[in-house]
Amino acid sequence: MQEEPSRPARWWRRVPHSIVRPVAACAASILLYVACFGAILDRPLSFGWLRHELDARLARGAAIEEPKLVILAGSNGPYSHRCEIIGPLLHRPCVNAGVAVGIGLDYLFARWRPLLHPGDVVYMPMEEAQYVRDRAANALGPDAAIMLRHDRATLARLPPRRWLGALFAYDLRGALMAAIETALAAGGFHDPRAAVDGKSNAMGDHIGHTATLALANAPALQSATPYHPTASQIRTGDGSELIASFLDWAHAHGVTVIGGLPTGFDDSPIPAATVAAIRAIYARHDASFLELPNRSRYPRSAFFDTADHLNETWQAVHSIAVARGLAPLVDTRPQVMTANAACRIEQVPEASVYADCGR
Amino acid sequence: MLFHSQPFVLGFLPACLAGCFLLGRFAGRTATLAWLLLASLFFYGWWNPPFLLLLLGSTAGNYVLGQHLLHLSRANRRHAARGWLTAGIAANLTLLAVFKYADFLLHIAAPDAPALGIFLPLAISFFTFQQIMFLADSARQDRTDTGPLTYATFVAFFPHLIAGPIVRPKDIVPQLQQRALAPNADNIADGAMLFLLGLAKKLVLADTFGGFADTGFNAAASGAHLTLFEAWYAVLAYSLQIYFDFSGYSDMAIGLARMLNVRFPLNFASPYQSRNIAEFWRRWHITLGAFLRDYVYIPLGGSRCSTLRQSMNLMGTMLLCGLWHGAAWRFVIWGGLHGLYLVAHRHSPITLPRLLAQSLTLLAVIVAWVPFRATTSAAAWNMLAGMAGIHGIALPQMIVHALPVLAWIATPVEVLPWLGDARTLSFPEVSACLLLGWGIVLLLPHVHALSERARIWALTSSFAFSMQAMFFAPHVAPFLYFRF
Repeated sequence: MQEEPSRPARWWRRVPHSIVRPVAACAASILLYVACFGAILDRPLSFGWLRHELDARLARGAAIEEPKLVILAGSNGPYSHRCEIIGPLLHRPCVNAGVAVGIGLDYLFARWRPLLHPGDVVYMPMEEAQYVRDRAANALGPDAAIMLRHDRATLARLPPRRWLGALFAYDLRGALMAAIETALAAGGFHDPRAAVDGKSNAMGDHIGHTATLALANAPALQSATPYHPTASQIRTGDGSELIASFLDWAHAHGVTVIGGLPTGFDDSPIPAATVAAIRAIYARHDASFLELPNRSRYPRSAFFDTADHLNETWQAVHSIAVARGLAPLVDTRPQVMTANAACRIEQVPEASVYADCGR
Repeated sequence: MLFHSQPFVLGFLPACLAGCFLLGRFAGRTATLAWLLLASLFFYGWWNPPFLLLLLGSTAGNYVLGQHLLHLSRANRRHAARGWLTAGIAANLTLLAVFKYADFLLHIAAPDAPALGIFLPLAISFFTFQQIMFLADSARQDRTDTGPLTYATFVAFFPHLIAGPIVRPKDIVPQLQQRALAPNADNIADGAMLFLLGLAKKLVLADTFGGFADTGFNAAASGAHLTLFEAWYAVLAYSLQIYFDFSGYSDMAIGLARMLNVRFPLNFASPYQSRNIAEFWRRWHITLGAFLRDYVYIPLGGSRCSTLRQSMNLMGTMLLCGLWHGAAWRFVIWGGLHGLYLVAHRHSPITLPRLLAQSLTLLAVIVAWVPFRATTSAAAWNMLAGMAGIHGIALPQMIVHALPVLAWIATPVEVLPWLGDARTLSFPEVSACLLLGWGIVLLLPHVHALSERARIWALTSSFAFSMQAMFFAPHVAPFLYFRF
């Protein structure tokens, strides 16, 4: 009987076991990670809440057929601005579309672009951090995990680096929180936020964050040190690039964009050069810019829990000022206010310094 | 260049290993050592090239002096050898003093004088101590003769250059002299495994706990009054951060050396499982402890002298240990506290039950981390006051709501402002992380004592998180011991 010639061993069989085992462990680790966070684990409380807030605002945006006003920012949008006041003053239906500063701007723009039509106005009092947020931070925001589990259609429209970022969005803390939140949600966890923080109305405004509730945050507000990026950081920021690209898109599609300044402490003004750099982004891309006389600065006592969040009383005051500022830019006369909704919320004697409330 | 940076992992390490193995196979030992030396100098110079001159000058000077000392001691000229050794140690310590302690000493002598602002060269404490060992071993004839290339490669050898372990020349030089560096599959696999597990300790664990610790300690430094849980969580987080950071670095260094067929000594052996403070120092930064014992404590007289002198020797050694960590009083206080602990332990007649002894040791070590980490004495006192409950006890409402009995001791608040990200769920988040971290350090054996199967499991559970942190995390913190 003739022997078959022995075949040379496959190259991988010649690799020593000592090498194969760790390599296999690494591969298994990656596969397990992707399987767990892509299909099994979730953060139903924190990211679930964000998703619910985003979806509610998008649903309102989609339901409005006439030209609308959309306030696009981080949490500065809903906390410090009130569509309930601004919309009627500008005779436009309004959506307060911001949710949280950590939501990636590219994701936010990708969700809102299909809902914006010629004649719509977008007001963008973006937080300073949003201009300078780098790509790495942007790729790992809460929207990454949300897209991976619940919104793969939007993820597919974003660049491949965002796919990778979404696949690897969970760190150790995120993994532990996924387990904790899943357990809490399964156990019927009662979210205490509404009682201590307020809630959102149908337009996306944050309501109920009263001056009384803000008292609990007074020590933290007093010691807070706001962050102001430099003009150079604004000019070169990855967020600025995303905003510029959105401005170009809006200009090409007949959507009016008006930039603005976020609210902040009056003892910590945004440096003039930084304001100029922010304004220049909008000017370069054919967008208007609203700069209130007080540059959206208010005393610390006007805030709720951070420099981006006015309390409800001052949210109303600021909203009136913003509506008056926006009126000429959106080509609509502001309504002459009588006993308006803003002033019914709470009487604030100091408010007359900032807005002629009630006159 | 940092071990956990992308340029190191994707560029330097593969190029260095490939060069070593190729030259080892085809060109012989001298060429391999030369390559390794050049690679190590590149590694060091990546950070700040001008300081290469300092490293090279120090290496050359110490080599010449070491050879001279060896010659003198072989010729039995002990007095001359002792004189040259003293001069050599003084020169090394002067160099260290100029770069590391000049401002500190100036501030003691003239508190109002403007700071000199001398830039601290990377790794100067480590390569200075290693060369002092070389000189001392030369004077004792406790080393083999070595050529300049081998010696320079030993000093600059990149796995230990930046932050240790502090390796003795007589342990490493013979390994470099032995033979050409041929690739060894078992060593490469072992080394890579240790490196990856060290990487996970640093990127996944240390950096996570570092974030929690920074929140608390920064708040204390700014004058905020931390409540009991905020203060304790910050200190517990820092205790884990410094352990995982430094032991992770050591594991990575040991792994890198192993890939090149060089064995480094163990540097950490589950120190938080120690049952007394002396045992802690046999398990924490083992190579520094050994250096201080062999080159400071024993030459001072060690334990073979009066009780008072023993205590003074211990205190002196630990104060020096504190000062080695940095030119600031907080490090001296930390060293002094450990000195006091050691003296108390040495003379204590009490034997405690195992669990109580371990708890007490751990508590002492954790409390000593407060002045070590706090940037000012006011911040340290503030943190200690918080740990003692002087600023009150507060807990999130959701916790008190779930366990109403806690309302007897704690004030319910919406969020704890100095805990984690100060969110509604920060308390369970930080608690879970601390539970995991302390579970690892108190219940599991250290990486080097794990079975191969356990290491494979550890790698499987950590590798993806390491990659996540290395390639996707927006910010990676440097190693803590880079500052020392």
